[in-house]
Amino acid sequence: MTTALPSPMQPAIQASAICKRYDQGPAALDQVSLEVRLGEVLVVMGPSGSGKSTLIRTFNGLEAIDAGALNVLGIHLDADHDERQIRRIRRRVGMVFQQFNLFPHLSILDNITLAPIRVQKRSRQEAESQARQLLEQMGIAEHIHKRPGQLSGGQQQRVAIARALALKPEVMLFDEPTSALDPERVKEVLDAMRALASQGMTMVVVTHELGFAREVADRVLFMDAGRVVELNDARSFFHHAEEERSRRFLNQMQH
Amino acid sequence: MQRRRQLLRHLRRHPLDSALSLAIVLLLAWALWATGQWVVEVADWRVVSANLPLYVSGAYPADQRWRPLVWLGLILTLTLVTLLWPRPRSGQRPGPMRVALPWLWLLMLPLGLAVLAGGAGTGLTAVSSRAWGGLVLTLLLTGASGLLALPLGVILALGRTSDLPVLRHGSRLYIDLMRAVPLIAVLFFGQLLVPLFLPVELEINRVVRAVVAFALFASAYVAEDVRGGLQSIPPTQREAAAALGLNAWQSLQLVVLPQALQIAIPALTNQAIGLLQNTSLMALLGLVELLGISRSLLANPAFIGRHLEVYVWLAALYWLLCTAMALLARRLERSVQPIPRAPGR
Ligand SMILES: Nc1ncnc2c1ncn2[C@@H]1O[C@H](COP(=O)(O)OP(=O)(O)OP(=O)(O)O)[C@@H](O)[C@H]1O
Ligand SMILES: [Mg+2]
Repeated sequence: MTTALPSPMQPAIQASAICKRYDQGPAALDQVSLEVRLGEVLVVMGPSGSGKSTLIRTFNGLEAIDAGALNVLGIHLDADHDERQIRRIRRRVGMVFQQFNLFPHLSILDNITLAPIRVQKRSRQEAESQARQLLEQMGIAEHIHKRPGQLSGGQQQRVAIARALALKPEVMLFDEPTSALDPERVKEVLDAMRALASQGMTMVVVTHELGFAREVADRVLFMDAGRVVELNDARSFFHHAEEERSRRFLNQMQH
Repeated sequence: MQRRRQLLRHLRRHPLDSALSLAIVLLLAWALWATGQWVVEVADWRVVSANLPLYVSGAYPADQRWRPLVWLGLILTLTLVTLLWPRPRSGQRPGPMRVALPWLWLLMLPLGLAVLAGGAGTGLTAVSSRAWGGLVLTLLLTGASGLLALPLGVILALGRTSDLPVLRHGSRLYIDLMRAVPLIAVLFFGQLLVPLFLPVELEINRVVRAVVAFALFASAYVAEDVRGGLQSIPPTQREAAAALGLNAWQSLQLVVLPQALQIAIPALTNQAIGLLQNTSLMALLGLVELLGISRSLLANPAFIGRHLEVYVWLAALYWLLCTAMALLARRLERSVQPIPRAPGR
């Protein structure tokens, strides 16, 4: 774990002309190049099917790329899809899914401690005390011995965030973390993410929450049809987006 | 009260239905009365009462019969504890007893084998497996072949859903083959074939051969039940496990299999009960388990013509065993389930 520590100048994630196509379909990612800087919050936006999920899933190897190269926290990844490199990345990059994907047969506590104990070989005692602390932060400490199915969607998603944080990741990936939630539950999850951002976590967030993006994002990536349309700092993007396509999308979102 | 009124209204509305209902009730009452009369007045139960030790443990040496009895007593105790011990309340950790129970159950098989066989290391007189029989043998056969069939079935199910064509087709071939052949044929093949695969000096006994053949047969059915469970686990579960850095084996062992097995429990219960009943086929191979011992009793001139008594008694015994198994399985199902599925989807 001592190797490949990114220097302050090095980006957290660097994508160089990555391409991805599912079966015989159109390109889901078409020559995408970008950098995610250490400590920044990058919000990814774009219409449905534009490749947002595909993009962030390549960052931790859930999707293999067909061409191009990725560098995640100094670990190189390309079309070879080297399993060992991918597992090194996954130990340092957390991910939160739209559908939470908690393990329904395990208690909340076991959901959170599973990977620290099994992957990082930490002691159960230490992992459990950390889990309690994380659940405290997320405001759901009293549910620790329940099963995921006994919690509301918002609570489940906060457990999922705690589960990812338990591995002490350096980068967090979020794929539409609030899209499966009731409107009144969205805020509690966004609050948890806000707190995380204010602690300086490097975050890549796919979301349609304009309010959150305006307030928390450092930069915004706008995608369409598998291509990067615009990558701009958040203030510029929301006030005077460079591209006509971005402006049209923002207009639609606001109405 | 209300239900009675409903029933009456229902009967009045359909005269033909009520005539039919009446006929069925009368028929049942008559059958019950006739059976009761036979049980109490006609039947001669000495064939059962005089031979209870044989039903329990077969030809086990008389001065050692306390050993199978102790073992059966332990199983009975464990059954009662399992059924009656309070379940943990939702949102709480299961207590130490709940955690220990599965292990105690697993322990019962090797313990039974050790207690019955005796010999070196146990401080008990050695008793050859030839002398084992009756209920004890039935339970051992069921337990041993079940315990062997489960891992085999899981491996076959994994092979059947594997990405490797060799594994996938191999497993499917095996499963289809086993399911196409009647159990009795597999058992006879086992008696004849298993010795051929083993070195000459290693002569294994009939019981072991029967258990192996039985487990090979049952594993095909177990595999199909487990496959059903595996297929109902959404791929996002594997993804979540992978994203946490778990490797393929850990993801299978900690995330996918536990859920798949949990889903398969009701189907596996059926298999287990079927297994218990099918052990009676081993009587045809000359094993003296419950059915075997009964058949040898009926061959005894002292009990000639007492077929009905013996088979009624056997039916009652099997019913009791199967009911106990079903209750235990229901308990298991409830203690690990429900997997409450996430709401709002
Ligand atoms: N597993 C898959 N198999 C085949 N095609 C896929 C698969 N996943 C995504 N695609 C296709 O790839 C393209 C990009 O999909 P992706 O899920 O990345 O879009 P998205 O921007 O995340 O959309 P949404 O906002 O709806 O989540 C789409 O055309 C989609 O149909
Ligand atoms: Mg998506």
